[in-house]
Amino acid sequence: MAIVTKQPTPPRPAPLSESSVIGWVRINLFNSWMNTGLTLASLYIVYVAVSGLGVWGFSDAVWVAKDRRECFAISVDGACWAGVVSWIDNIFYGRYPRAELWRVNLGGVLLIVWMAPLWLPRVKAKIFIGLSAVFIYPFLAGYLFTGGDKGIFMQTMVTVAMVCVAGNTLHAMIGVISGRSLPEFLIGFLRMKEASEKNQRNMLLGILSLTVIAAYILQMNWSLETVSWTKWGGMFLTLVISGIGIASALPGGIILALGRRSKLTLIRVLSISVIEMFRSLPLITVLFMATTMFPLFMPEGFVLNKLVQVIIAVCLFYACYMAETVRGGLQAIAPGQQEAAHTIGFGYWKTMGLVVMPQALRVMIPNIVGTFIQLLKDTTLVSIIGLYDILGMLRAISQDTPWRGLYREPLLFGAIVFFIVCFIMSKYSRHLEVKLSTGHKTGNE
Amino acid sequence: MDQGRPDVFTAYALKLCDGASPHSGLAPIRLSYESLHVTLWSIIVAANDAETTNKVSALIKPKEHFDFFHDERVRSFLYQFLTACAVGWVVWYLVSNTSHNLEVRGMNTGFGFLTSSAGFDVDFKFIEYIPGQGTYFDIFLIGCLNSLFVSGLAIVGCTILGFFIGILRLSSNWLSSKLALTYIEIIRNTPILVQVIFWYIGVFSFLPTVKNSVDLSFGAEVFLLNNRGLNMASPLPGDLFWLTQVAFVVAVIGVFVLRYWSHKRQDDIGKPFPTLIASSALLAILPGGVYLLTGSPLDWDIPTLQGFNFVGGFSLPPAFLALLFALTIYSAARFAEMVRAGILSVDKGQSDAALAIGMRPSRVMVLVVIPQAMRAIVPPMISLWMDVLKNSSLAIAIGYADVVSLFMQTTLNQAGYAVEIVAMTMAFFMTISLTISALMNYYNKRIQLVER
Amino acid sequence: MNNDRGNPGEKNMTSTKTSETPAHLASAASSEVIIELNKVNKWYGDFHVLKDIDLTVHKGERIVICGPSGSGKSTLIRCINHLEEHQQGDIVVDGITLDKNLKNICHIRTEVGMVFQSFNLFAHLSVMENLTLGPIWVRKMPKIQARDIAMKYLERVKIPEQADKYPGQLSGGQQQRVAIARSLCMNPKIMLFDEPTSALDPEMIKEVLDVMVELADTGMTMIVVTHEMGFAKTVADRVIFMDEGDIVEENEPNAFFNDPQHDRTKLFLSQIL
Repeated sequence: MAIVTKQPTPPRPAPLSESSVIGWVRINLFNSWMNTGLTLASLYIVYVAVSGLGVWGFSDAVWVAKDRRECFAISVDGACWAGVVSWIDNIFYGRYPRAELWRVNLGGVLLIVWMAPLWLPRVKAKIFIGLSAVFIYPFLAGYLFTGGDKGIFMQTMVTVAMVCVAGNTLHAMIGVISGRSLPEFLIGFLRMKEASEKNQRNMLLGILSLTVIAAYILQMNWSLETVSWTKWGGMFLTLVISGIGIASALPGGIILALGRRSKLTLIRVLSISVIEMFRSLPLITVLFMATTMFPLFMPEGFVLNKLVQVIIAVCLFYACYMAETVRGGLQAIAPGQQEAAHTIGFGYWKTMGLVVMPQALRVMIPNIVGTFIQLLKDTTLVSIIGLYDILGMLRAISQDTPWRGLYREPLLFGAIVFFIVCFIMSKYSRHLEVKLSTGHKTGNE
Repeated sequence: MDQGRPDVFTAYALKLCDGASPHSGLAPIRLSYESLHVTLWSIIVAANDAETTNKVSALIKPKEHFDFFHDERVRSFLYQFLTACAVGWVVWYLVSNTSHNLEVRGMNTGFGFLTSSAGFDVDFKFIEYIPGQGTYFDIFLIGCLNSLFVSGLAIVGCTILGFFIGILRLSSNWLSSKLALTYIEIIRNTPILVQVIFWYIGVFSFLPTVKNSVDLSFGAEVFLLNNRGLNMASPLPGDLFWLTQVAFVVAVIGVFVLRYWSHKRQDDIGKPFPTLIASSALLAILPGGVYLLTGSPLDWDIPTLQGFNFVGGFSLPPAFLALLFALTIYSAARFAEMVRAGILSVDKGQSDAALAIGMRPSRVMVLVVIPQAMRAIVPPMISLWMDVLKNSSLAIAIGYADVVSLFMQTTLNQAGYAVEIVAMTMAFFMTISLTISALMNYYNKRIQLVER
Repeated sequence: MNNDRGNPGEKNMTSTKTSETPAHLASAASSEVIIELNKVNKWYGDFHVLKDIDLTVHKGERIVICGPSGSGKSTLIRCINHLEEHQQGDIVVDGITLDKNLKNICHIRTEVGMVFQSFNLFAHLSVMENLTLGPIWVRKMPKIQARDIAMKYLERVKIPEQADKYPGQLSGGQQQRVAIARSLCMNPKIMLFDEPTSALDPEMIKEVLDVMVELADTGMTMIVVTHEMGFAKTVADRVIFMDEGDIVEENEPNAFFNDPQHDRTKLFLSQIL
């Protein structure tokens, strides 16, 4: 008594009540009384918010005016964005001399150029590029932003940085075009492919030395006008503080996290104490502590300027937060990895550096980016202790005579700027998460 | 084999002489470890009997070249010793600098200042304090209590608000879910300091003047909002009020008894009892009834407008309100994400299985989903509480007298004693943080899912 | 051998040991229709997953549904207890039509037990609590009575000593047997099995299949989605082959396995047997 369907039934499109816009609206918005009520309430909220903000922020707003009085004259109910517009330079650069702004911009461009190869395909030795960006770029940037006379040390570092950035860019271009690295390209160019390794190495070293000497001579005559750190402000200052914080938080966090997992009791106890201490305190307390205690800690006559104090405090604080993130990542790595590494003869540092850390870092990247976002937002706290970062500048607008009493518009502008930056960063981190998890198969338990 | 060792002995002895050159800065260190090494070996080699040395060498399994540095025990000791020296040196350096600097600047030390009287007044305080008589320690207490007060209220508020927003985020209604998402994204991507200042300057400074206070109690004039704060009536308990308080305690005990009885009843005959409704009724009716019967012995100190200000009642400053709102809204966004993650972490199969045996969806939520979701929600929730307390220190930006602004800033500027004040403030935060960590560990241990 | 009233699962029976070439269990099917699917269609978004399904199940009948993955077999049985909602067609279970009426849905679910591929035991409750949760909260039974029933079924599935353990402490086979006992505690008239042995290690499959065979022998109406063809040969009254949302072929086991009619059936059987 077999029942057999000879012809397979062709698939039919879903009924209108299911697919299409009507179906979607019905299912997602109105499929029960409570949902209908929620939908109506939400629509009302959206309408009120958008129309209110839209009218205040756009249609009634004043974009250009001389002062607040004029704003009111033009439009009483609208937002007075003119104050923000006229302070735009301050908001982004602080009180940096306008004639020297090109230095700040150059520093930013150099960083982008330096870091860009990390995202390009077919470029090798990305780790070296990344490390050089973290350890060498700051010297170049520091000199660009501060200026003044260069001592021997500074001259050397600037030279190294110049050679690095030029080399990186060349290397990236060669990599993208031909897939080779810079040394390979040079060897090929000089037709020394058949030469012995030693000769090749010597030739490359020779080229490197010549470049370094040439760069040194070149920069000896360059000098920039001194711009004191007190003039640094606005978004520029925010990025400097958070940039240094980000660059040192990750290495510092890794060291602390490894220390916390160490078998050596003293190191473990010290790491845990430091981490727990900083994590239990609010950042503002740490900043206050830094500004009151650092003058006492330093020997007589040695003065750390406020910016350096703040940077040290921020770096220490966020190293501890990063340590917890790193610890989480390390815990996610199965102990079998360490055992396997030991069986092929790796000692502690080799295991950590070559086997465990690379895997752990990949797992942790979303959390690391999250901590970076947090760091960026928390730099606003330095405005409380008198450093004019972007929030400080925005609040200063209301103290400026032509714009006295203008509070909301600058704050909203700051909120929007931060929102855009943080939102992009968190979207990128989610993208990274997806990209890395598809390539990374976890073993089944 | 054994012949090699006397050579090693000699070799090291020679090296010892070489190493003692005054030009090498490491000479003292090399000297000490070399001598240690030599001593060790001399003990072994000094035995004339080759057999003994064989046996001893078999015991300690020497390699062809005994690699001093690669021995695990030596390394471990060395690392820790060096770390201890480095840390110790740094600490000694800082301490000596500090004491020297304090001396040079004529700053005093010691905790004695805590008993001297502070010269300034604090607007918002929970304890009796008279300027000129109250001590700096009182100031410290006031600061701590103020911090805890605003944090406590913010925690309650953000838990409730965050829970609802989290549930909304999970709802099948697309519009509400996206609205909740927008809220969460905006709040989380804006710095909290900006939000605190915005609430203070952007909202609470636009409140009307005292004369035109907004009446939030719909005409009863007991809840008045103006730009000096929120004025409300404070209770003045009469003679027989203690009876109502006793009735309340009795009602609370009654709720526990009721729960126990209703569970037992359900075990026995199977019918569930509406415990929630009954408990609420008990808590409302028993103290309420006693209150009415004793003639409503509660008077209210109603704020009345006298001149330019309100007299009587209890008032919350605008800085407090702004901080409270900012903290609540900011933390609610974070808590909403935790709630959502926690509920999503419960496998869909669990609710499938519960539905498949015929349970109503509401029961499924209460008996199966939420108990398991709590495991994922509670630990980050507890650390969120700590974050609320830490964020309350932003009071310093808007002038609310919490422990950081009152003690670490004002008092430090007035009295000096930087090290002691910093230490006390640190102690406050670290104590609370340790308590909360202990709480979290206790909770984690208790709700561990039992596995093989 | 079958009772029209009362639930078949409670009957005492002699255990049927599955041997190498098991004898086919005597059919317990009556003429009473207990499940009826009439032109049932379901879409996931635009994807047509169940196409014009017609199915009639009689009381006491044992049906095995097989087919390649993605053919809609799990979706089909999940529609029967409304864990999935169908868009077109009628589903009538035990005389009650499945529609949006929550009361009807809950009532049907108490009469239809389901065993899942991933067991889905409540991880935060002990085995005993897992079993008594339904009786206490849905059937409003006193605790003692619920516990007695639970112990009875635990003994049926041969693991009474695990009553106070937690699911995390049990092996896969034990968990699945607890899951079967959990469904049986509700005294269902119909048992649905959604690939009950697919997530088990090979040595544990037999213990679960034994329980299912025993259950079948008591006259329980069963619909089983599985790849275990030995089980189908022993127990099934009908074998249904589904492919791409259609019921392609339906026959009694001997004819199905020895003489498949449709090409698609032949292809599938050649791949798994």
